[in-house]
Amino acid sequence: MLKKFVLYTLNHPKSVIIASVLLTVLAAAQFPRIKVDTDPENMLPSDAPVRVFHHATKAEFALYDFIVLGVVNERDPDGVFNPATLTTVYQLTNDIKNIEGVIAHEIIAPSTKDNIEQADLGSVRFQWLMESPPRTRQEALKIRDEAQDHPMFRGSVVSEDGKALAIYIPIEKKDLSYEVAQAVRELIKKYPGDEEFHITGLPVAEDQFGVEMFKQMAISAPLAGLIIFLLMLFFFRSAKLVAAPMIVAVLTVIITMGLLIGCGYPVHIMSSMIPIFLMPIAVLDSVHILSEFFDKYQQFKDRRETIVFVLEELFTPMLFTSLTSAAGFFSLSFSPIPPVQVFGVFVAIGIGLAWVLTMLLIPAYIMLLKEEGFAGFGHVEADEKPHMIDKTLAVVRDASTGAYKTVIILTLVVIAASVYGISRIQVNDNPVRWFNPGHPIRVADRILNAHFSGTYEAYLVMEAADKEGEAFLQPEMLRYVEGLQAALIDSKLVGKTMSLADIVKKVYYELLGGDKANNKIPGTKAAVAQSLISFESSHKPDDLWHLTTPDYHKAVIWLQLKSGDNKDMSKVVALAEDYMRRNPPPLAVSHDWAGLTYINVIWQNNMVMGMLKNFLGSFVIVFGMMLVLFRSPLKAIVSMVPLTVTILFIYSLLGFFGKDYDMPVAVLSALTLGLSIDFAIHFIQRAAEIQQAEGDWMRTASAMFRGPGRAIVRNALVIAIGFLPLLAAPLIPYKTVGFFMFMIMAVSSVATLLIIPSIISALPQKFFQTKKGGDHHA
Amino acid sequence: MLKKITGFGLAVLLAGVPLAGAEPTVDEIITKANSVAYYAGDDGLADVTMTITDAQGRERVREFRILRYDVADQGEQKFFVYFHKPADVAKMTYMVWKHPGADDDRWLYLPALDLVKRIAASDKRSSFVGSHFVYEDVSGRNIDDDVHTLEATDDTYYKMKNIPKDPKGLEFAYYFIWIDKTTFLPMKAEYYDERGEMIRTITALETAEVQGHPTVLKSEVKDLQRNGRTLMEFSGVRYDVGLKDDIFAERYLRRAPVQWIR
Repeated sequence: MLKKFVLYTLNHPKSVIIASVLLTVLAAAQFPRIKVDTDPENMLPSDAPVRVFHHATKAEFALYDFIVLGVVNERDPDGVFNPATLTTVYQLTNDIKNIEGVIAHEIIAPSTKDNIEQADLGSVRFQWLMESPPRTRQEALKIRDEAQDHPMFRGSVVSEDGKALAIYIPIEKKDLSYEVAQAVRELIKKYPGDEEFHITGLPVAEDQFGVEMFKQMAISAPLAGLIIFLLMLFFFRSAKLVAAPMIVAVLTVIITMGLLIGCGYPVHIMSSMIPIFLMPIAVLDSVHILSEFFDKYQQFKDRRETIVFVLEELFTPMLFTSLTSAAGFFSLSFSPIPPVQVFGVFVAIGIGLAWVLTMLLIPAYIMLLKEEGFAGFGHVEADEKPHMIDKTLAVVRDASTGAYKTVIILTLVVIAASVYGISRIQVNDNPVRWFNPGHPIRVADRILNAHFSGTYEAYLVMEAADKEGEAFLQPEMLRYVEGLQAALIDSKLVGKTMSLADIVKKVYYELLGGDKANNKIPGTKAAVAQSLISFESSHKPDDLWHLTTPDYHKAVIWLQLKSGDNKDMSKVVALAEDYMRRNPPPLAVSHDWAGLTYINVIWQNNMVMGMLKNFLGSFVIVFGMMLVLFRSPLKAIVSMVPLTVTILFIYSLLGFFGKDYDMPVAVLSALTLGLSIDFAIHFIQRAAEIQQAEGDWMRTASAMFRGPGRAIVRNALVIAIGFLPLLAAPLIPYKTVGFFMFMIMAVSSVATLLIIPSIISALPQKFFQTKKGGDHHA
Repeated sequence: MLKKITGFGLAVLLAGVPLAGAEPTVDEIITKANSVAYYAGDDGLADVTMTITDAQGRERVREFRILRYDVADQGEQKFFVYFHKPADVAKMTYMVWKHPGADDDRWLYLPALDLVKRIAASDKRSSFVGSHFVYEDVSGRNIDDDVHTLEATDDTYYKMKNIPKDPKGLEFAYYFIWIDKTTFLPMKAEYYDERGEMIRTITALETAEVQGHPTVLKSEVKDLQRNGRTLMEFSGVRYDVGLKDDIFAERYLRRAPVQWIR
């Protein structure tokens, strides 16, 4: 039915083209309505418990997302604690207060926070840590000493070595991070001193990634397109003809993205990758047709007859390769991650579209070209010296038919080694690591985490069961918190922690005259309360409410981690949970976690587990499709072999080379599945057809390693090389895509051409047996 | 009795100035307002309930008795702040010797720590026990710290603009005060930052005449940056109760003068 329709459209090429153009224009008209969403938090539904709790915690304790501005001075012997640098820091802080989107009164800097210190006549003084820039070295060093003696500043605002100082810039909304960071970068230019400035923090890393990702999208997709075009030109030597797959690819991308935008979905980090995923798929389809057309044209010397022949041959395998690819992506719609669902569905739609456009537009396009243009076009078997590809194919053919036992044993060895490699895979992600090591964000991350106790924040929230008891004024409860903090610090996983207990201790020993022997939780609840009310007589009494609630029934421990890696955050969580299990708190409390570093762990776990389930699900679905397509369990099983080897092999590399299994890698499993099966489908389908005509496997093999083999190799080369430039992209996920495309094409083509013929060679009769009437045929 | 008549006479004298046809000078307005707001009588006491409400609507209540003794009118003053609530801070006491034009002396008594501590008070813009009032709102900002100009006058108020002479350590750049033309009580204050954004307001919500002195009974400060507010309610206001200078001494911190705090 479908096939008839496709053949029917051959008579109406102009209508097909007009319809495609109209559809494209309509889709392109949706582009101005684009909404961009670069927040990885949206990897979780907005009602996900962890997000709800995170936001409730932020609201309750007035916590904000911070941009961290690090100031480093390696030249001055006193580091940043010299009058010039501190003056710069003072003025810069004032400038930053005026940036739109910055919550000025919550900036954490030496000039915006209060200190409690010993003063004349045995008095204590609540004083701004740096009320005005120091004039002398002594004044500057006093600021350093005071800051390093205060739990709120030590390791976070001032580094232990005194070389660095950090300003924490709270922002109204996370998606303002990039703008605010850019404004800060402008301000910094006004201060050409000895200081180096570095900007980091998860919000800015995430937001900046979004900005650069879109830039990269505009560079990478067209660049890959260009290279694919040049490669095809090299193979088919007709710009006019090669333009067709490019048009199919471009139209597929435009219509799919237009549909996505038109449906009102924001373009998320995930969906911005749709074009780069659709392009190879669209090109793959059309290369199969072109390749066959190119090989067969000289037999028919008539474009219509040739195209009809090619469509007859390729219709079913192409339908199935598209269906399997679409199934791989469509399965993502069952993932628990909304942007991944949208991504999966629209890539699946795009694949369907690419198939339709390939089937209709390519023939229509060929029909509109003049017959004379094809003179001298195409593959002429006899009068040409064997091409490199043909020579290679011959070698592969001999190996897979002659030494099939060796190939099969090698395959088993590779599978075994790959399984071992996969067992070593580390699941881990960190948005900062989405940038290249040389990117300013990564550099800042490295330098600031070397100087400070950590720029990644997480919050452990504790809530007493008794709401009336002012649990966190109770000395035994504060001592419990103190113990938990000590355990976290001892583990070396956490650079710094801060809690109400630290403030109580600081105020208590300063009130008692500054003797560190009194750096402890006072003995009675009244003493705790009176220490705290003394603290409240400072310039920033509200700082207390970042650590507890006014009824003292909740408290939060701030954790600063030097690494934003999910695996490190997970270890911290495990450690704290374990501590609390083994040391039950003196009063009944429940606890939970918040903070961006923690949220990333949650969505990543969802993603990894979700992807794994999807992957296994799609694997089964694809196998089912192969059963339907080949109507033979053996063929179906054999068709799954190259795919299985490809996936095992590629993912084992992650294990062997210690590359983390992160978000892009997880998503690419769907692409791997969808693309790796393609060559196997083509190979088996065509082999079965040829076998029917030839009746002898060796003759079939010989034919297979000509036309069909060439199509596979051309396809593999076009895509593999076309995506290589992505390896030079400044963003790691793009590199990952480039690497995967290359590996998928390389491994699945080699696996298809080596392993399938080897298995067939081992049992040719059994393999080509068909259910109906197969017996007498053999 | 004699004193009271003298005071009354002074008020008549001052009230007579505008009648003579001339508006009071800026200095006169400020001095008078300062006197009315912070120096009513020779001494005074009140019970204060302070309700601190944060941006999330969470409330905290503090109750204390405040005693004031004027060493000299418009000059040195001594304060005693004795806490009743919350229970954990009961008997906690603040004592202040206010020295206009110089740093105040401040002491703090923390019964649970059995500790009397001097608090260095070089800066008067710190919070008054965690409320949105700053120390200076309670004791009075030294009138010589600002340059005052009469911004506007209407039937009810003198609107004064006040610019600090030394902006160091201040969270505001300037502020306006609306002074009641009849009572000379400051009725409203608005604080602005250097960007010209209003960051803070103080409003007298309820006033009454107590023993002939115009007295604020309810005053509310709003922190517009943090969206918090503190309501201060005065009850049992009495003037000229006969407080003596000698109870405003360090030794009375541990043993508060019982007759004045009950």
